[in-house]
Amino acid sequence: MVQSKKQKYMFLAFCLIPTFIMFAIFTLYPLFSGLYYSFFDWSGSSQNKEFVGLSNYIKLISDEIIPRTIIHDYFLVVTKVIGIMILAMFFAVALTQLRIKEAPFYRIVFFFPNIMSVVVIGILWTFIYNPSLGLINSGLEFLGLESWTRPWLGDENWALPSLVLPSIWAGIGLFMLMLMGGIANVSKSYYEAAEIDGANEWQQFWKVTLPLVWPQIKISVLYIVITTLNGSFIIVQVMTGGGPNNSTHVMGSYLYQQAFVQYNFGYGATIGVMILIISLITVLVLQFFMRRDKVEY
Amino acid sequence: MKRSVGEILGRTGIRITLILWSIAVLYPIIWMFIGSFKSNAEIYANPWGFPESFNFQNFATAWSNYNIDTSVFNSFIVTIVGALLTLVLAIPTAYAIERIKFRGSNLLFMLYVSAMMIPMVLGWIPLFFLLADLNLLDNIFGLAIVYAVSQLPFSIFVLTSFMSTIPKSLEESAAMDGMSPYGVLLKIITPLSMSGIITVTIMNAIQFWNEYFMALIFLQSKDNYTLALAIDFISSEAQYTNAWGTLFASLVIAIVPVIILYAIFQQRISKGMAEGAIKG
Repeated sequence: MVQSKKQKYMFLAFCLIPTFIMFAIFTLYPLFSGLYYSFFDWSGSSQNKEFVGLSNYIKLISDEIIPRTIIHDYFLVVTKVIGIMILAMFFAVALTQLRIKEAPFYRIVFFFPNIMSVVVIGILWTFIYNPSLGLINSGLEFLGLESWTRPWLGDENWALPSLVLPSIWAGIGLFMLMLMGGIANVSKSYYEAAEIDGANEWQQFWKVTLPLVWPQIKISVLYIVITTLNGSFIIVQVMTGGGPNNSTHVMGSYLYQQAFVQYNFGYGATIGVMILIISLITVLVLQFFMRRDKVEY
Repeated sequence: MKRSVGEILGRTGIRITLILWSIAVLYPIIWMFIGSFKSNAEIYANPWGFPESFNFQNFATAWSNYNIDTSVFNSFIVTIVGALLTLVLAIPTAYAIERIKFRGSNLLFMLYVSAMMIPMVLGWIPLFFLLADLNLLDNIFGLAIVYAVSQLPFSIFVLTSFMSTIPKSLEESAAMDGMSPYGVLLKIITPLSMSGIITVTIMNAIQFWNEYFMALIFLQSKDNYTLALAIDFISSEAQYTNAWGTLFASLVIAIVPVIILYAIFQQRISKGMAEGAIKG
């Protein structure tokens, strides 16, 4: 291309600088100053901002609710990974291997909840769990299992597990599609070879499909873990607000409550730093355990 | 191919599972539509059945008594402004990263991409005060800017991969003919990456339309509520007023645009999301 160095740099600046300035102001600066705020005791107005060193972090360690929020987050991570991966894998295999005519219909339907707003999903499911009108309790009564009915979201022991079902319901489609993409790339000749060797469908799944879609499985698990640790508080906020009696608070919803409901902005930022560190460590550890040489036959 | 009895049974079992899960997905959604046409008395008497008659009273109540009209308007503004701003910011950067050789281009790309993995919740506290200082707190345009920047990493990521498929010869011959790099970007690259631009825009628009938590933090007055906040408000009111019909009507209002987009762009949306997740 015929253009001077100066023109090239002018054009580069035009392309990159405005975008980067916006990114720096609205993403980088808030993250770093969040880190900075975590060393202050601050209720929001500038007069009340006081440097307190590590005392927010000491408070964090001695706060009895914090370990519960971490456990709740990991409970959601583990149940979601297991529930979503098993069902998504089942559906992905069923829709690709069995040559079902209606496969496109299932694909379209199963994916749809992925693009629904968390607010809509949360409110819909709050009503499904409604103690007197909800589908679950009505269904149990219909089946004669009245002793099993309970106020799901109002019950300290059942509220958190009740949040898993909507998350799985809403999440499956995307991971099903990701796995289907992986399965579609597996050459048919492997299955033919396995069939000649006398492998049944179940063995084919374990020996051919699973190893060859391992990259997609790995990415799916990582993606579920990251989105849960970074975003589980949204469904919590909509469906229970952290209650009853803190039994569903996750790290993010506790941050929201501390910072934006009780105006402990410094302490809220400290919780934010904790979320950042925990999710980075989790991703690194997972990547270490899930590394596995690419299988090639 | 001969099939054993076990295989046929297995296939039937799989079919039944598929059908059951379809019902599990569709029934609550369909029932939400049905509920929006029922009176409250009917919802109590027969929460999961069909309405005796279709009435639009719930929609009228939601529309006029609960400010849904303002919220729908706000949501549209935030969605459109946010999606356009994302494009204006993302297209030039994606082009420069993908096509122009400069030192640090890989580093810049990694910086944007790694931002997709960072939990932004930590940044929301300073962002709250930053917006307050800029007079953009409780302002739908402030929210649109925050939305646009939040989707920058994803948009740059998808657009660079789309642009990498455009043959270089087209730009080169346009430059030979004396077209400036600005002209190449605007008249050659932008039209040729339209497919990627559409995908990114639809996904961002759905994201902005649905978004709840940033709106909850950064908007305060009811006149500025987006639809997600308005619905959340009706929902918390319904605990006391039991205005379930109105709540369902507002849920339907929120979901219909998404259903329309999904009906038109189904393949684009599902492919875009799956690929975005895989490459990220």
